[in-house]
Amino acid sequence: MIKFKKVSKLYPDKTPAAKDLNFSIRPGEFVSIVGQSGTGKTTIAKMIIAEEEPTAGNIIIGGWDITNIKNSDIPVLRRQIGVVFQDFKLLPKKNIFENVAFAMEVSGAKKEDINKVVPQVLKIVGLTKKTDRFPNQLSGGERQRVVIARSLVHHPKIIVADEPTGNLDSINAHDIVNLLLKINQFGTTVVLVTHNHDIVNSIKKRVITLDGGQIISDQKTGKYIL
Amino acid sequence: MFVNLFRTSKFAAQNFRRNLWLSVITVFILVLTLFTISLVFTINLVADQALNSIQEKIDIDIFFSSTASESDIIEAQVYLQQMPEVDQVTYISKDDALEKFAASHLDDPNIQESIAELEENPLPASLVVTAYELDDYKVILNNFEASQFNEFAQDKSFTDYQLVIEKLSNIINRIYQIGFILSIFFIIISVFVVFNTIRMATYAQREELGIMKLVGATNAFIRAPFFMEAIFYAILSAVITIVIFYPTVLLASPYINSFFEGYDFDFMYYFNQYVLHVFFLELAVALFLTTVSSMIAITRYLKV
Repeated sequence: MIKFKKVSKLYPDKTPAAKDLNFSIRPGEFVSIVGQSGTGKTTIAKMIIAEEEPTAGNIIIGGWDITNIKNSDIPVLRRQIGVVFQDFKLLPKKNIFENVAFAMEVSGAKKEDINKVVPQVLKIVGLTKKTDRFPNQLSGGERQRVVIARSLVHHPKIIVADEPTGNLDSINAHDIVNLLLKINQFGTTVVLVTHNHDIVNSIKKRVITLDGGQIISDQKTGKYIL
Repeated sequence: MFVNLFRTSKFAAQNFRRNLWLSVITVFILVLTLFTISLVFTINLVADQALNSIQEKIDIDIFFSSTASESDIIEAQVYLQQMPEVDQVTYISKDDALEKFAASHLDDPNIQESIAELEENPLPASLVVTAYELDDYKVILNNFEASQFNEFAQDKSFTDYQLVIEKLSNIINRIYQIGFILSIFFIIISVFVVFNTIRMATYAQREELGIMKLVGATNAFIRAPFFMEAIFYAILSAVITIVIFYPTVLLASPYINSFFEGYDFDFMYYFNQYVLHVFFLELAVALFLTTVSSMIAITRYLKV
């Protein structure tokens, strides 16, 4: 369960990024957070992974109040949340297997576990045959699959995908969303931050719409209304 | 734990390789620093031994004129013995002196012949005085010269040694001072260089570090490779320094020994006794410098 209770965020220059946000996301839900650029969508994603701290209100994840999370607890939180970004954030000098394994290596996983889990997640995203390729040898859609595979290695309960289709053509974008829907079917909560109308309308799941940092609509099976 | 240690070492080795030139320069500066520090330490160590070996040979020989009776000399001996600065006073009679002289020239038949032909023993009786401290000799001499026994004294031998010691002390002190100043200079430079190398490493890997944070690496895991890299620098430079320093000392030792000809002093003998001390000093200094400067760089530039 993700809970935002009266959450507001002001940036240091006093620009409001989020105003009085109140919403809950149940375990296993698929929620799209939509809105135009600068409406606070990414701020919500960043606050969920404790990259940003709210100025007011409380954020509770799985019963854990992370509003004023200690620095030393952030890694524990991030191992429970898979993160997917628009700009992939892959290491160019590591091949696909190594990029995915890296997430496990830095959290102290044993080599045997890495060798077991990495092929599994690469199979889920359909990249079994390209494990020794480097990021620059893959298409945009494939790179985003690698990022999704990496986000899955810790078996997260939540996946936060911030504009995962932003750099992709419509076919690849739909593939990635289908992959996220597949992962959601396994029981993982997916929070999709996007401003892509077609994608949102095709998913037919819950949509939270933001405008000026505020929620203007929260529909159970919504559409992109802006 | 071993897995983490292994990975930390792997990432540290990667850092070292990726910034190879910077790493080489860092090690070079550290080697220079450690070399000068080792030099100062060795000088300090060996100088004490060298001065001691000269000091052991130092004494004052007070030769008495033929007018002095044996009882006068014995009185003088008692007088000297009572001084707190005096360690030992040995009386060498005219006969003892001649015996010693003959014994030390056993191989020279001419001298032996001359001694046999002597009607009267020409050698004076003497008192050999040894002091506890080098500086005490002047006091002893001054006191003796002010005493009633001075009129019996024909000659005193001390000044030559004093000159040697003063000269040697001056040379050692000067080298020590220069070495000390150089060490401070290199220490400051190496702190800056290590600091900058670690800073550059964090900058070069900002992307990787960002990903590490996102996928849940702990702060300790992110910071550890940079500490490890600093420890690499320390160990490598300490080993390189001793590998260069030892042969340098070995090459220099005949020249240094030639300064101490006639004294019981062998430079390499003393150095070999302390070579492990020198190495551990180098390692300790290198570890201290690198960990302190990397810690400053990490806390300043690695916000996790």
